[in-house]
Amino acid sequence: MAEAEKFSVVGHRVTRVEGYEKVTGEARYVGDLQLPGMLIGRILRSPYPHARILNIDTSKAEKLRGVKAVVTAEDTVKRPWGAFFADQYPLSVGKVRYVGEEVAAVAALDPDVAEEALNLIEVEYEELPAVFDAEEAMQEGAPLVHEGKARNIAMTIDVERGSVERAFAESDVIVEDTFESIPQWHCAIETIGSVADYAPNGKYTIHMNTQTLFSARMRVAAALGVRETDVRIIQAAVGGGFGGKSCDDNNPIVAAILARKARKPVKVINSREEEFLAGSRPRVNMKTWIRMGFKKDGQIRAKHLRIIADNGAYSGKAPAITGVAALRHDTCYKYSDVKTQAYLVYTNKIPTGAFRGFGNPSAEWAVEQAIDEAAHELGIDPLEIARVNAVEPGYVSPHGNRVTSCELKQCIDMAEKMMDWKQKRAAKKPKTGLGLACTVHVSGKRHFGDYDGSSATIKINEDGKALILSGEGEVGQGAATALCQIAAEELGIPMEDVEFSQADTDLTTFCLGAFGSRLTYVAGNAVKDAAAKAKQQILEMASEMLEASPDDLMVEGGKVYVKGAEAKAVTVADVARARLFRRSGAPIVASGSFDADSVLPDETRYGNESGAYNFACQAAEVEVDTETGQVKVLKYVAASDCGTVINPIGAEGQVEGSVAQGLGYALIEGLRMEEGRPINPNFSDYRLPSMRDMPALAHAFAKSYEPTGPFGAKGLGELGMDPTAAVISNAIFDAVGVRVRTLPITPEKVLKALTEKGKS
Amino acid sequence: MKKHVVLNVNGEEHDIEIEPNRLLLHALRDDIGLTGTKEGCSIGVCGACSVTVDGRLVSSCLTLAIACQGKEITTIEGLAKDGRLHPLQQAFLEYGGFQCGICTPGQIMAAKALLDGNPNPSEEEVKEWMSGNLCRCTGYYKILESVMAVVQNKVRTEDLLPRERIEARIQSLDVYKAEARTHGSKSHG
Repeated sequence: MAEAEKFSVVGHRVTRVEGYEKVTGEARYVGDLQLPGMLIGRILRSPYPHARILNIDTSKAEKLRGVKAVVTAEDTVKRPWGAFFADQYPLSVGKVRYVGEEVAAVAALDPDVAEEALNLIEVEYEELPAVFDAEEAMQEGAPLVHEGKARNIAMTIDVERGSVERAFAESDVIVEDTFESIPQWHCAIETIGSVADYAPNGKYTIHMNTQTLFSARMRVAAALGVRETDVRIIQAAVGGGFGGKSCDDNNPIVAAILARKARKPVKVINSREEEFLAGSRPRVNMKTWIRMGFKKDGQIRAKHLRIIADNGAYSGKAPAITGVAALRHDTCYKYSDVKTQAYLVYTNKIPTGAFRGFGNPSAEWAVEQAIDEAAHELGIDPLEIARVNAVEPGYVSPHGNRVTSCELKQCIDMAEKMMDWKQKRAAKKPKTGLGLACTVHVSGKRHFGDYDGSSATIKINEDGKALILSGEGEVGQGAATALCQIAAEELGIPMEDVEFSQADTDLTTFCLGAFGSRLTYVAGNAVKDAAAKAKQQILEMASEMLEASPDDLMVEGGKVYVKGAEAKAVTVADVARARLFRRSGAPIVASGSFDADSVLPDETRYGNESGAYNFACQAAEVEVDTETGQVKVLKYVAASDCGTVINPIGAEGQVEGSVAQGLGYALIEGLRMEEGRPINPNFSDYRLPSMRDMPALAHAFAKSYEPTGPFGAKGLGELGMDPTAAVISNAIFDAVGVRVRTLPITPEKVLKALTEKGKS
Repeated sequence: MKKHVVLNVNGEEHDIEIEPNRLLLHALRDDIGLTGTKEGCSIGVCGACSVTVDGRLVSSCLTLAIACQGKEITTIEGLAKDGRLHPLQQAFLEYGGFQCGICTPGQIMAAKALLDGNPNPSEEEVKEWMSGNLCRCTGYYKILESVMAVVQNKVRTEDLLPRERIEARIQSLDVYKAEARTHGSKSHG
């Protein structure tokens, strides 16, 4: 890659900074931790989707030998908490609203005693009528999940820009359809877990596998009724997040409540079944009615969306996710007249929440299929309709999103080439088809308060090594490695001389954590700022040592040189020691920060939500077996614009993993529920893609440079799974002329659609 | 009733007192302290708990510890030898065969069991065999690439682990020199 030549570390294939620990089995995950006197905690969960709690009797459980604490809502401050709406309690107060909700908990000497104690807790319930479908829940007279929430509506979005009425009148072709998406579980191979400790000074220390430490601290403190600094969160190695470990669940809070009552450290690790019932909050499922108008040449003229989003029993991040589904795609193509009505609706099911894509995959499942329908109706190549509408640098969406760098057209070109799109279309084989879709994603998002920033501290140790102190953490995606590369590049020291601290809310400044594809861009800019400031201190000290102006010095490979007189040099270690070991000595240490040039959207949801936008185009070739309905993906291509690629190994891994999750979402995943009760909450019945399920994959990164990004980089983590389900469905339509409108696209549904098509 | 059991893990004998229904997974993690073997699904589907017993790949979450007496158990901790990574570990590191790392011990143990029996599997054979080990991060492409790199002898393993390199250096160092280096040369003499 040409860009890599400009940099000594950025753009190079660098192995993981935490790699040795991970390949030797020595990385410490939360389940591996042991503290002196540590107890095992277990949670009693509601067996009912909706019921009043009449009485809880814990006396028998308390008497069981080996039980050290039994807790219910009576042991809490009964203060509701939540990311956007405070609507859930750590332990049920008066009512349960979904199967799996936390009712009581025990801490005991070992897991067997804890399980036995759960069986001894007697809870008297009065079952209440429940509602499981969001559309039904919106009807007058439906059971109310939360008192005071009329028609169970948690939030409404109603936005119109321009005039869709006029724009539809000016359209040559109008398509209208309805699509349904499903809740998808993260299925990180590691479940959510915590080890909580409660010190005599009243401070909680919680070792967690969270991806958002400071948000976790804020929410845990609110739920416990204490100040933020009364809670210290330390991140253990995280065994996969994908949004599911962004602290919307009660696991750490229950662990803390148990630790307080037992006066001992308590470990609470979700079983796999608990993870499905009440652990990581699955993707918000949506039913989307869409109407779009186009000009003859394929230009989008109007779009009207009506989304009903299933919130489940509590809100978590679903309000923000519904907002993304409603508006984000208007930054992918050139839109002028759009209308969106979205309703987030409570039901008596597991709360839904953040999963890679954050509303985008559900929305694109509808929008990118509607556009494909229009292409077929207009007789335009779907690739050309994407090209006609693709946004370019300088575009401002109807909702105020300002696009700086954008290589979507380049991505379309690359996808076309990698797929041999034209040749394959010209020589179309029966039962084989091509499909594509495009997407846009943010690089951080301004929605958790008016802040879309990050901060980091870099200290240069006496041996010349740099340590990045950051609270952003590492969840497995490779952020630590990318941030070390950025620091090494800026400082002019070798990669092996940069370390990344464990994330710890007591030792680092406030960081929002891993979500919204924000770390490379937002945290990368903060780390780069800290590195630049530390480097300035190095140069100033070295200028004394080398008797040269700081402007005449350069740092490379861990040495400070006088430009043009390279023999005159000192090492960064010499500089760090010289600055420290003298009268008025001081360490080389600098804090950096960055806040993206984004705008907190106003009450009409207008405002540039992110500092930079990333884009992708993906395409698939599928073969459909018309006897069985089986869909085989023959080839998949993904072209991504994430600006400068900081670490090609990491970037490729993000795209590959996203596509795998996207294919799972499209074709096989989904939890079956009956009356709010999951019937397959395990890995043998909830199928995940395995190695043999993966198709041939080609991918490429656009030549792109984001002017506001660190060394030109922007986000990537979620981009790869946004369009995948629509890509597959579009390809199936091209192959056999049927469209399955509900996820996942199972062979049964394909076969049914083929049979219906045969009849008509 | 707890029983005295001797387990041979990675060539070392461990005396433990366990219930007869103790799973090998929990004996390894909680009784012996080898936490590299992970619990993912608890029902033998995901492969995160894969270890070998007398060279055969097993899910330790479905295996009774007591049944492994007198057998040779190998876990991820037993792969690096003499301070050097096993070629599979080296390959996963270099080719990005992991992200979060939670399934990695199981992936590497599964690949090892395959290659120990068949050093030259085809790509299709690797895919078939490795399909018993789930990964949610990588999409499997780089895991496959890592295993194939070993099959194709593309991996070099002569490098010592950094920890071992430091050990080696300490032993060859003059202690006083190290002291002088730590405290700076000029001002402290």
